[in-house]
Amino acid sequence: MKRILTFTLLLILAPSFLFAMTADEIIEKSNIAYYYAADDGKATAKMYIKDARGRERYREITILRKDIKDGGRQNYYVYFHEPADVSKMVFMVWKQVSGDDDRWLYMPAIDLVKRIATSDKRSSFAGGVFTYEDVSGRRTIDDTHTLLREEKINGKEAYVIKNVPKDADVVEFSYYISWIDKSTFLPIKGEYYNKSDKLYRTIEVEKTAVIDGYPTSIKGTGKNLETGLETTIEFVDVKYNLGLKENIFEERFLRRPPREIRK
Amino acid sequence: MPRRSIVIIMFLTLSALLTADSHAFTLHGFVEGAYGTRFDDDLTKKDHYTLGEGRFQVKGSYSPSFLDKWYGEFTFKGDAYYDGYEETTYGDARTAVLSITPHDMIDLKIGRQVLTWGTGDLIFINDLFPKDYISFFIGRDDEYLKLPSDAIKGSLFFDIFNVDLVIIPDFEPNNNIKGDRLSYFHGLEDRIVGDDVENDYKEPENKSKNMEAALRLYKNIKGMEAAIYLFDGFYKDPLGVLKATPTYRFYYPELTVYGFSLRDAVFGGIGNIEAGYYYSREDKDGDNPMVENSYFKALAGYSKDMGGDFKVGIQYQLEKMLDYDDYETNFPGGSGKADEHRHLWTLRLAKLAMNQNLTLSLFSFYSPSDKDYHLRPQVSYKFTDNLSSTIGGNIFEGEDDHTFFGQLDRNDNAYIRLRYSF
Repeated sequence: MKRILTFTLLLILAPSFLFAMTADEIIEKSNIAYYYAADDGKATAKMYIKDARGRERYREITILRKDIKDGGRQNYYVYFHEPADVSKMVFMVWKQVSGDDDRWLYMPAIDLVKRIATSDKRSSFAGGVFTYEDVSGRRTIDDTHTLLREEKINGKEAYVIKNVPKDADVVEFSYYISWIDKSTFLPIKGEYYNKSDKLYRTIEVEKTAVIDGYPTSIKGTGKNLETGLETTIEFVDVKYNLGLKENIFEERFLRRPPREIRK
Repeated sequence: MPRRSIVIIMFLTLSALLTADSHAFTLHGFVEGAYGTRFDDDLTKKDHYTLGEGRFQVKGSYSPSFLDKWYGEFTFKGDAYYDGYEETTYGDARTAVLSITPHDMIDLKIGRQVLTWGTGDLIFINDLFPKDYISFFIGRDDEYLKLPSDAIKGSLFFDIFNVDLVIIPDFEPNNNIKGDRLSYFHGLEDRIVGDDVENDYKEPENKSKNMEAALRLYKNIKGMEAAIYLFDGFYKDPLGVLKATPTYRFYYPELTVYGFSLRDAVFGGIGNIEAGYYYSREDKDGDNPMVENSYFKALAGYSKDMGGDFKVGIQYQLEKMLDYDDYETNFPGGSGKADEHRHLWTLRLAKLAMNQNLTLSLFSFYSPSDKDYHLRPQVSYKFTDNLSSTIGGNIFEGEDDHTFFGQLDRNDNAYIRLRYSF
């Protein structure tokens, strides 16, 4: 009888025990959903940067991405359309699992392929609130993740996770809180706290859509509460599984942008 | 100026194509005013300034549908400017090129194009494409350091390595310092001269025998970029003397260069090394004082991102004159004798601030062997996406008159540029 009771109890408890996800698993799944959707992808990003005095800047880029391994290495090709002074410039990243990423910049005015030193991933991408890490993803192993609670935010059920950097010296935050959509695993919101535990930066996803079967963030805004800088990114012409070849992410196509940029 | 007619022809072609087919077309450009003042009176044409011009640049690209199969694209960039120093209006086609991919493994670029390769930062060992050192030293945008070449560039992409072959049918020299705008050391006069000395420069004749070729074999091995270079053509500077009386007549001697480079991420930054052997074919033994000797040149560089949008780059270059004994024995006299070894250091400091709208940079050249240096401080600010301004300076200092930067001692200048991009 005792044995049957134990067995019954196990049966009842098992689902929640077996299916509850750890914080690490949630973050890993979110990372895949947001940064590694499909095998490759293309999007044009329109970036609106507004400073505290209301002055606006506009950047327009087309991004090609190819995953070498889900959650691991991937390549980015970023082609600048606007503003005029950087038009046709190309920025390329080989994202690595360990060590620094490899980055190149092509400057068409002087036909120069420049290799760029990349130790600081927290520097701003194109002068906006988003950092290089926001654009191409922060390595999940760089933080320890704790599931704080589950709650409803912006009408969506979400996991709330605290992320603490393992190496606090190389980042400007002491931790950040992520709200992750329980159904799509896309991030909904991020709050960044500085070393004196004060909220100084927020990132919020404002619009998502399902494209080619993949839930996709198509509009988001980052705010720096200290400087008053705001940046909104809108993604248009999002496509997945284009069958991008790996050789697109080589010097040849820095000097001569691939067809996929134009299509 | 044939360049002016190229600009007009390209404009007409582009507009004709445009009206026929508006498939994939881009157009950008800028209007710019620039002024540069000099600090010392000099022997040059105008004493009080080095730069004063209004410039209009337009650049566009166009992919006509009839070239879709070959992924064809016309790219054009032209500058029209009034140069107040020369009191002349110029039209320069900087780019007028057709790019096609006739095969998966082949790219071709045919026409007027700016060409760059090699790993140095403002130091060029295996990049033997023409440069404009006058623009570089009087405060024009860095873009103008590179001159375009009329060339055919063929690229082949194999699994084991890639090949670039550039053929330049008509020789294009560097825009070297001539004394009308920047004073310099004249070896035959044995003194600093300006426009008070008349020189004549004889370019190689435009015939098939004088065609220049530049070859690069390269490969990216898991992030390490390796390249081998070969150049066969002429010195881009007039380093040969044809005759010394009654006027000075210089020419561009034959040159072959063999070299290599490596670049990779090291020690949390980027490291590069590059070397080249300059074989002076008209002075094989180094005993002809009228032609430059052969040289071995090598550089090592390292750049690092210090965080907070602050970057630092350092380079060392060695230039070793070969057959130095023969050079010494045959040196005709005067104070302009070169050392056997020239050591050169460079330091680049660059900082972005104010949401990356403000750029502060300082590039310095320093040669402990020549005992001279050149500083290039620059501040630029983007008021809007369209409007930007740059203020900077070129400072030269040296113990001797005959060294590379020392000779420019009296050309210290400061400049300002205001640009509206569209």
